[in-house]
Amino acid sequence: MAADSLLYTRRRVVNAIALAMSTLATVIGLVFLAWILWETLRQGISALHLQLFTKITAYGEDGGLLNAMVGSFIIDLIGIVIATPIGVLAGTWLAEYASGTKLGESIRFLNDILLSAPSIVLGLFVYTIVVLPSTTLTNGSTTFSGWAGGVALALIALPVIVRTSDEMLRLVPSTLREAALSLGIPQWKLTLQILIRAARSGIITGVLLALARISGETAPLLFTAFGNNYLTFNPMDKMSSLPQVIYQYANDPGEGLHAIAWAGAFVLTMFVLLLSLASRLVLSRNKVSHD
Amino acid sequence: MTESAAAGIHPQSAATPAPIAPTKLKVRDLHFYYNGYHALKGINMDIPEKKVTAIIGPSGCGKSTLLRIFNRIYAIYPKLEAKGEIVLDGENILDPGYSMNRLRSKVGMVFQKPVPFPMTIFENVAYGIRHHEKLSRADMEIRVEQALRSAALWDEVKDKLKQSALGLSGGQQQRLCIARGIALKPEVLLLDEPTSALDPIATGRIEQLVEELKSEYTIVIVTHNMQQAARCSDLTAFMYLGELIEFDRTEQIFTKPSKKQTEDYITGRFG
Repeated sequence: MAADSLLYTRRRVVNAIALAMSTLATVIGLVFLAWILWETLRQGISALHLQLFTKITAYGEDGGLLNAMVGSFIIDLIGIVIATPIGVLAGTWLAEYASGTKLGESIRFLNDILLSAPSIVLGLFVYTIVVLPSTTLTNGSTTFSGWAGGVALALIALPVIVRTSDEMLRLVPSTLREAALSLGIPQWKLTLQILIRAARSGIITGVLLALARISGETAPLLFTAFGNNYLTFNPMDKMSSLPQVIYQYANDPGEGLHAIAWAGAFVLTMFVLLLSLASRLVLSRNKVSHD
Repeated sequence: MTESAAAGIHPQSAATPAPIAPTKLKVRDLHFYYNGYHALKGINMDIPEKKVTAIIGPSGCGKSTLLRIFNRIYAIYPKLEAKGEIVLDGENILDPGYSMNRLRSKVGMVFQKPVPFPMTIFENVAYGIRHHEKLSRADMEIRVEQALRSAALWDEVKDKLKQSALGLSGGQQQRLCIARGIALKPEVLLLDEPTSALDPIATGRIEQLVEELKSEYTIVIVTHNMQQAARCSDLTAFMYLGELIEFDRTEQIFTKPSKKQTEDYITGRFG
């Protein structure tokens, strides 16, 4: 009995310590998140006016970020529209057709490398394969462009989408495959009409997270979309984007520009936060319906 | 049915029971290998038409493996190999040339855990039919209703056919899976421990359903539950370590088995 109660006491103490440490770790993480939000809000509050959303960067301290927001929207959209179909199909191939094969394992490994590739390298890559050729082909009338920026962001979003699609499909129980094949359903129908549907919310979450990831990217846009102080909807033009303007303004000595940069950072952070929340919502809705 | 059409006794299959109906599935010298491991060692059995045949035995004895050969679902995984013959309506289904599409429309399967497709209740049943037959909307509705009625589920779901099948209870989902299987009008229905994930009431329903379905289908059920085998089967096969030890009328197996191993197992001495 005595030995027993000693053992239980020891376990209780170890449990309490482990719980305290993990709670502390969580609190530290949340404190920094709250701090970042608070600091961007505090520094940017003076610039958080309507004109932030209605005026362009050409007016400098008296302007807003309209062109950067529109640019970000278009470039991110191009990136995600290119990356989603390729990523979902590649992830499907990995999970359903190449699982257990050497080729599949190699491609999964390469995808993981692409996932952690420095984004500036991808920016330079797109500079050489999109920006330089288009400059030559158009005799210099199209150099940097929204398209090039979108392609660079697609390369960043792609491995994220491949990875989540692959993982979400592999989470689908193999009995679902067996059940469908037992009805004589061929593999392609099973994949397109049942498995992708079963993994749908996970795949959508992956796409939303990829969007959150690329919407904060600066480096790959510096050599591709370049930036533009005027409003444009034409992706053949140079385009500015929120992160790139934040970067530019933060390096500027003007105090007013700093406030706009902070306000832009706040808007961007909130956008990413909302996207993450939306993806959580998609996932949790699905969980409920599976019970 | 005539004696001549009845299940014949194969010289190797000491375990083949006296004929009670024509043979639907004739298994001859069936061997199965998992990546080289010899999992089934020369199975011979005659599964009679429109009867319930139960396969019992301890975990790992090969009973599910055997069932999964009957519709060749094992073939979706690499490195699995079946040798021997399984004759269904005069043709060897293990013949590589035997159409998988045809086999699976003739032999339906229900799994251990209910696995409804992520679709509406109606679509779950209609999906399989649509792959094999082109039906008008009205005909499809009739077929789906028939299947759901046969699976004793219609009254519970008739007002929510457009709702997701994932919202049904486990027992209802399993009956939906049975409906989905019989909607294709198969000849053989394979049930792989269909009630092991269900509560006693849902289990009772499924067993009752099995009783009703045997007038139309040849049913092979793998079960861990010996009472279940005793309650709802006509014939029982006892397997052990990849071999078919004994195959006889259910009452025979459970009252006076001819093999010591069978007796030890059903009296709970091992397993």
